[in-house]
Amino acid sequence: MGRGRRRIIWLAALLQLWLLTACGGSNPSSAQSITLYTCVNDTTIQPVLAQYQGTHPGTKVELFRAPTGQLNARVASDIRAGGLKADVIWACDPLTMQDYVTQGLVGGWTPETEIPATVRTPDYVGIAMLYLVAITHQGVKAPTSWSDLASAGKVAVPDPNLAASALGALGFFGPKFYADLKEHGAVQVGTPDDVTTGVAQGTYDAGITIANSAYAAQKKGSPITITWPKPGAVAIYGPVAISKTTKNAQAAQDFISYVTSRDGQTVIGSAGSYPTLPDVAGPEKPKGAPVVYPDWNAVTSHKAALLEDYAKIFGG
Amino acid sequence: MRSGRAWVGAAFGLALASAAVLVLIPLAVLIRTSWVEGRGHLADVVSSPGFGSAVVHSFELSTAATLLAVPVGVAIALALRDPGLPGRAFWRVAVLLPVLVPDFVLGYSWLMAYARAGLTSELFGFAWLQIQGPVGVSVIVAANAVPLVYLIITVGLATRAEPTTERAARTSGAGPATVLWTITLPLLAPAIATAAVLVFVLSMGTFAIPQVVGAPAGFATITTHIYADLALGSNPQGFVEAITLALLLIVITLIVVAPTEKVLGGRLRIGRAAARDTDWPTSGRITRVIVTTALGLYLMITSGLPLLALLSASITRAIGVPSTPDNWTTDNFLTVLTPRTGYALGRSLLLALAAASILIVLGSLAAALGRTPGGRSLSVLITLTLVLPGSTLAIGLLIGYGRWLADTVVIILIAYLAKLWALAHRPMSAAVDRLPPASLHAARVSGAGMPTALATVVVPLLRPALIAAWGLCFLTALHEVTMSSLLYGPGSETLAVVVLNSADLGNVGATAALSVLVTAIVVLPGAALWVLTRPHAPRLSTHRPRA
Repeated sequence: MGRGRRRIIWLAALLQLWLLTACGGSNPSSAQSITLYTCVNDTTIQPVLAQYQGTHPGTKVELFRAPTGQLNARVASDIRAGGLKADVIWACDPLTMQDYVTQGLVGGWTPETEIPATVRTPDYVGIAMLYLVAITHQGVKAPTSWSDLASAGKVAVPDPNLAASALGALGFFGPKFYADLKEHGAVQVGTPDDVTTGVAQGTYDAGITIANSAYAAQKKGSPITITWPKPGAVAIYGPVAISKTTKNAQAAQDFISYVTSRDGQTVIGSAGSYPTLPDVAGPEKPKGAPVVYPDWNAVTSHKAALLEDYAKIFGG
Repeated sequence: MRSGRAWVGAAFGLALASAAVLVLIPLAVLIRTSWVEGRGHLADVVSSPGFGSAVVHSFELSTAATLLAVPVGVAIALALRDPGLPGRAFWRVAVLLPVLVPDFVLGYSWLMAYARAGLTSELFGFAWLQIQGPVGVSVIVAANAVPLVYLIITVGLATRAEPTTERAARTSGAGPATVLWTITLPLLAPAIATAAVLVFVLSMGTFAIPQVVGAPAGFATITTHIYADLALGSNPQGFVEAITLALLLIVITLIVVAPTEKVLGGRLRIGRAAARDTDWPTSGRITRVIVTTALGLYLMITSGLPLLALLSASITRAIGVPSTPDNWTTDNFLTVLTPRTGYALGRSLLLALAAASILIVLGSLAAALGRTPGGRSLSVLITLTLVLPGSTLAIGLLIGYGRWLADTVVIILIAYLAKLWALAHRPMSAAVDRLPPASLHAARVSGAGMPTALATVVVPLLRPALIAAWGLCFLTALHEVTMSSLLYGPGSETLAVVVLNSADLGNVGATAALSVLVTAIVVLPGAALWVLTRPHAPRLSTHRPRA
């Protein structure tokens, strides 16, 4: 390789580096810019942001979106590197948010809203619901109640160590339910999405998963049946809260007021998540489908014991 | 003309500075966090349910993967020496196929190919039910480590082997097995050892495959435990526990790797030029038929079927419907081909290019410092960031540099450099033993500055290793998901974010489409990589003094 060519390659490499650094970095924070940290899926968050920035042209929302584990890592790292950078956090379950409140990171203010008291506290308001339902592969008898699930064949359950929704279910059903499942040959997979994929594929006969992902797969044509078994689908709500160290309090409050308002809830509903405000249209939900609500305070205080009992059933 | 000592000093200085920024500071940050916040809970961490079995599983997995991958990689490298093997050019490319499949779809593609109701079930009527468990995880990890072993051994063969000695032995009556045992393998020993260490370390730190394939059978590893800790890590205790576990993983790796570095032995000093392609003996007809069939079967099982399953998932309308023409659709690709994906992909490509280019310099530096005590410590140190799970390394970088570099591409680049330095170093160290000090000295004495001397004498000899290392680092950086999705900000979104967005809601079809897209974009430079990795030996004429 000639000397001239090598020089050109070095220059090109330096140019790349410069381009990268020039293209990177976020806009400087102004009174009209807020940072949102969330684990809510992308298909829900993008329309919400688009609608908000459309109706509030002066405000820019900088988004960091990652699964819950990475969201936790990001928040924890921020604290140890100068303070939380988010102005608003939209979590995917009450447990995570309660931990943030206990650490004094978020909370202290909630907007005026008609969202029911079952999904709010003085520090955060639930704005999206998740429901854990039962799915079965085509040809497998669908369970009418949760206790029928064990006899459905090869059952897949999500891991409560990975998904707070599964932890809520564990808190609601108790370890005995899972011990029964395991006796009938159930396996534990990773996330509820892995359950949907596995049951749709046919690797498993039935499973517990989140309604959104199940209906999305069914709409595409996957051969699955979705049931809301008695006593009810397990409900988990995703709350939003304001950071206690935000420098853009007014803009952050405006955003939270928006997502808790009827307009914001309508956008959330049409984007594919279940809204918490009553009488707002959302994704498919059978008429009169039963729903149960775990006691999140009990789950929080007994988390370690629950997971330990669970580990004895399905292994570490 | 600067003295050689000044250059060596500069090299040491650069290596030390890089090690400090990339490895020492993040590790120190993590150790400090774990010590300050978690030292009271160390007993809890160690006695938590499943910890003991997770450590055992990690060890079992790494040992099994190394014992499987290294012999297979060596065998393939030796088999492909034969210049007369039919389709040799094709095999040399095909062996590298697993490297093209991103980590984030690897587990799924094997499951879709071999698990219950998978591709083999549809086509042939049987499924490999044990795939979900320790055996399956070990086989998949090993199958994906074989290309690395193959590359390192091929580089080793190109620079260290002695075909003329082998011919002499054969002429004197030694059988092929004797030649292999007494000549080939001993010369390759350092290359084999360095490849084995790399596979072991990579298997200790692997996460995606145990998570997807092992979890259903209760086969947890330290890495899946760390992931679980972070998933419920919204409280300080879970977070610190994750960091402590990661540091324990490092300690375990250190215990295994550090002694191996000492045992690798002194540098081989030989003045002759390395082997040329045509020097290798050709094998008999029957051997060729056996080798070709074995290669074909092996590649079909480890690359062909999983890739086919992946392709099938990317064009099928939904999971679970049979892959027939009336269920085929371009929807998955259309969902994925958005401007946002375009920007993210462009950014990822640039980052991977920059990272790979810088990494071969760093890798060569570490290889050049080689067997000196400082060099040995350095090579052990950089394997630590390779084994450190991506999320924990990213946490270390965020806490250490987040105040100044958060949300920029620079911190993502630093993450790639820190993680992959060892990956660039190993192929280089397999090649560097063959450097002829006499030629370098001659060039310097004749008046060449050190850069010129290096460029004209050393680089041509190291070319196959440089290209192999560059290709490996480029692909690994491009496919990297964990660190990039934790470190990104509004202006530095990479492919990782797009991948995780599509993986949400269980959209396997879209994720498969993304991986097909990324693979297609990489195949062109991949083809260039193939053309250039043929063992390049310097022509003897450049070393003969002019008459």
